[in-house]
Amino acid sequence: MPVHLRWELYPVAHEKDKPYGGSYLEEVDWWHRPRRINPFGEFQVFLREILLFREYYKSNRGYWYFVYPFHIGLFLLIAWIVLLVVEAVLDLNGLAVHALALNPWLKALYYVTLVTGLAAFVLGLIGTAGLLAKRMLDEDLRVYTDPIDYFNLAWLLLLFLSGLLSYLLEDSSFAARGLVQGLITFKPVETGPLLTTFILLSALFLAYMPFTRMMHYVAKYFTYHKVRWDDEPNTKGGKLEGKVRELLAQPESWSAPHIQQGKSWSEQTAGTVSPDNREAPK
Amino acid sequence: MKKKISIKDIGRREGPLAEITPEDLVPLPYPYDQPGSEPGIKQLTAEQKQKYESNLDGVSAIGLKRPETREEEEKVVSKFLSGLEKLLSKENNWTFLQPLMLSLENCAKCQTCSDACPIYTESGKMEIYRPTYRLEVLRKIIRKYLKKEGKLLSRFTGSDIELNYTTIARLAELAYRCTLCRRCAQTCPIGIDNGLITHEIRKLFSQELGIAPKEIHQLGTVQQLKTGSSTGTTPKALHSFISFIEGEIEERTGKSIKLPVDKEGADILLMHNTGEFISWPENVAAFAIIFEAAGLDWTLSSKMMGYDAVNYGVWYDDVQFSRIAVRHMQAARDLRVKRVLVGECGHAHKAMLVIGDRLFSGDLNIPRESAIPLLEALVCNNKLKLDPSKNSFPITLHDPCNLVRLSGIVEPQRRILRKICPQFREMEPHGVANYCCGGGSGFAIMDNLNFSDWRSVVSGRMKLRQILNAFQDVISPDIHKYVCAPCSNCKGQIRDLFGYYNVREKCGIHYGGLVELIVNAMVDMKEPFIKWEGIQ
Repeated sequence: MPVHLRWELYPVAHEKDKPYGGSYLEEVDWWHRPRRINPFGEFQVFLREILLFREYYKSNRGYWYFVYPFHIGLFLLIAWIVLLVVEAVLDLNGLAVHALALNPWLKALYYVTLVTGLAAFVLGLIGTAGLLAKRMLDEDLRVYTDPIDYFNLAWLLLLFLSGLLSYLLEDSSFAARGLVQGLITFKPVETGPLLTTFILLSALFLAYMPFTRMMHYVAKYFTYHKVRWDDEPNTKGGKLEGKVRELLAQPESWSAPHIQQGKSWSEQTAGTVSPDNREAPK
Repeated sequence: MKKKISIKDIGRREGPLAEITPEDLVPLPYPYDQPGSEPGIKQLTAEQKQKYESNLDGVSAIGLKRPETREEEEKVVSKFLSGLEKLLSKENNWTFLQPLMLSLENCAKCQTCSDACPIYTESGKMEIYRPTYRLEVLRKIIRKYLKKEGKLLSRFTGSDIELNYTTIARLAELAYRCTLCRRCAQTCPIGIDNGLITHEIRKLFSQELGIAPKEIHQLGTVQQLKTGSSTGTTPKALHSFISFIEGEIEERTGKSIKLPVDKEGADILLMHNTGEFISWPENVAAFAIIFEAAGLDWTLSSKMMGYDAVNYGVWYDDVQFSRIAVRHMQAARDLRVKRVLVGECGHAHKAMLVIGDRLFSGDLNIPRESAIPLLEALVCNNKLKLDPSKNSFPITLHDPCNLVRLSGIVEPQRRILRKICPQFREMEPHGVANYCCGGGSGFAIMDNLNFSDWRSVVSGRMKLRQILNAFQDVISPDIHKYVCAPCSNCKGQIRDLFGYYNVREKCGIHYGGLVELIVNAMVDMKEPFIKWEGIQ
């Protein structure tokens, strides 16, 4: 994406000692002063958002009750899969992870995996069921909910539900780690119908997700870091000046009457033509 | 119960889509808490309705004339689509492409932003004013008409919208029911910016279809580029205003001050909104009194584009915006000043210090600052002899969105008021969480048909509520009260709002700028600088 014009929104998280939302523009002669930046400011806000969903908590509590467990459920699901991979690798190296393992680390890992998986399923289920119900029952949300939104939520609900049921009915010790091991070693593994459903839904979801709005967890970095907090001033002779000069040299083709046809941005703006197609006053 | 308006209703040919009734509006505090204490919005005549588009909400902001033939309607639709394609292209919209794409593609439709919007809440939550409404309309049009999703897929993704002339006419009006205050963006957990979406829709209409309110375009940017000022003030007329202000200073203060004009190589070029010279000359006078008392090396410009800091392009058109921004800097360069100082004009701050920042290069990249931190330094470092007891009346501060949320200039004006106004009180909420005056993004100067009623009744309603609440303990009209609004457009809106509700007579509330309060507190002023009778 090309450099864009500044469009920041205060508070900007990296401003130092201005918790009320101030900027370096509050300083006389800011042009000649070194910028005072809090290097951890952005990180703190992101961490608070990722771990607590603070903005939802503050501004939309009713939604937070479900969107928070839903996302925490997703994070834990990813963590659970990572743990399963770690366990499978350990097992292949002769370090079996199970409840009766003599090595306390392996035993602990077994229980951590168990709790992580269970928490992921339960929280994810609460979150998706709650969001689905809210979207169906709350008219303010229903008007803005399209079939695809219901479909995505229902998919995730089934994913979490099948995961939970497979644990409760088929796989109480999370033998899914055996499946991961099978994947690593290319050996077929037999699974029950619930676990199979869960695995299918998870794999297809991973493939489908990049094409959905659910990529907003990546977009959030850009909306904050690259737009809301992008207050980088254009210093004389700096890099930004050069980048913008290149963009200004591009032709543009807007066709309203006040815009000169066939001109570049810089000809339009700094040129000698005024919007009524006459020479600009000198 | 009213039927909920859906997104696809925007293409419904019969109208209006929604109507503002007094019962829907959120009630105001005392003394406007009795039914019938509000004048209401004027209805358009049958002839006006026939001539101009008003079937969004019975209001016409841009005076869009109805096409006479089907062919004309189709031409508008086709132009709209070509404009939409350009809006999504790097060549034509590099200026805002990344923020636009991020906001278009990632909204989770949680509606967290809705309650942050004063227009939506104060209207009694009218669906068409919901911040996400415009975004959804635009998204659906893109999916269906640019990405060309098939019938089945478009139903699944919810892109079942009809793009006809009615949709476009309503969308054009809808782009002028948001003040671009960006309070919604501030509260969005993902960072979606519905204010930006409004800005981009306005651009599409202006840059491709040539549709924009005449007050902003023909009488605004076009006039400014032709004459030097959006008010039509020529360099010659400016000299008359300056002479008048010098006379006023002498009459009011006994001081003989010659305003420096076109002083080459000065440290500071002070740029005002020219509206100040015409409507609030006391603001220009107060700046001059302060700068002279502090012994600053400063000047005004009477050169083409050097004396009007406004840049209405910032609200609706990147090309017009860039033309004006660049010419402002050319005027500063020609005077060889060390820095440009922006007076009490909010959008000029945003245009010159923030959005325009990356447009300037080489000798046009001249230091630009807000006048407010300098004023703070003069007041708080005791460079001026001030007596706070001269400002012994209740004062509250209105935060212009362009100064606080959009430029981060929040505390300097407060430090001044805390130092020189013993009865200063904040309105709630304030600072970066402030509410717009209701005249933002050009509304303050837009008076087409019944639009000025709308901006008093709907978009200015929250500000009136905040002001009344800040002064409820001293609401009697016998007590003089002052709303400090350091922004010309905000002052214009507050003037109209107060006139519409008769606030001065009913509540004794006046408004004015920041520098007037500083001069009013100056020890060597024999008479009060603020004349309660003279200001509105």
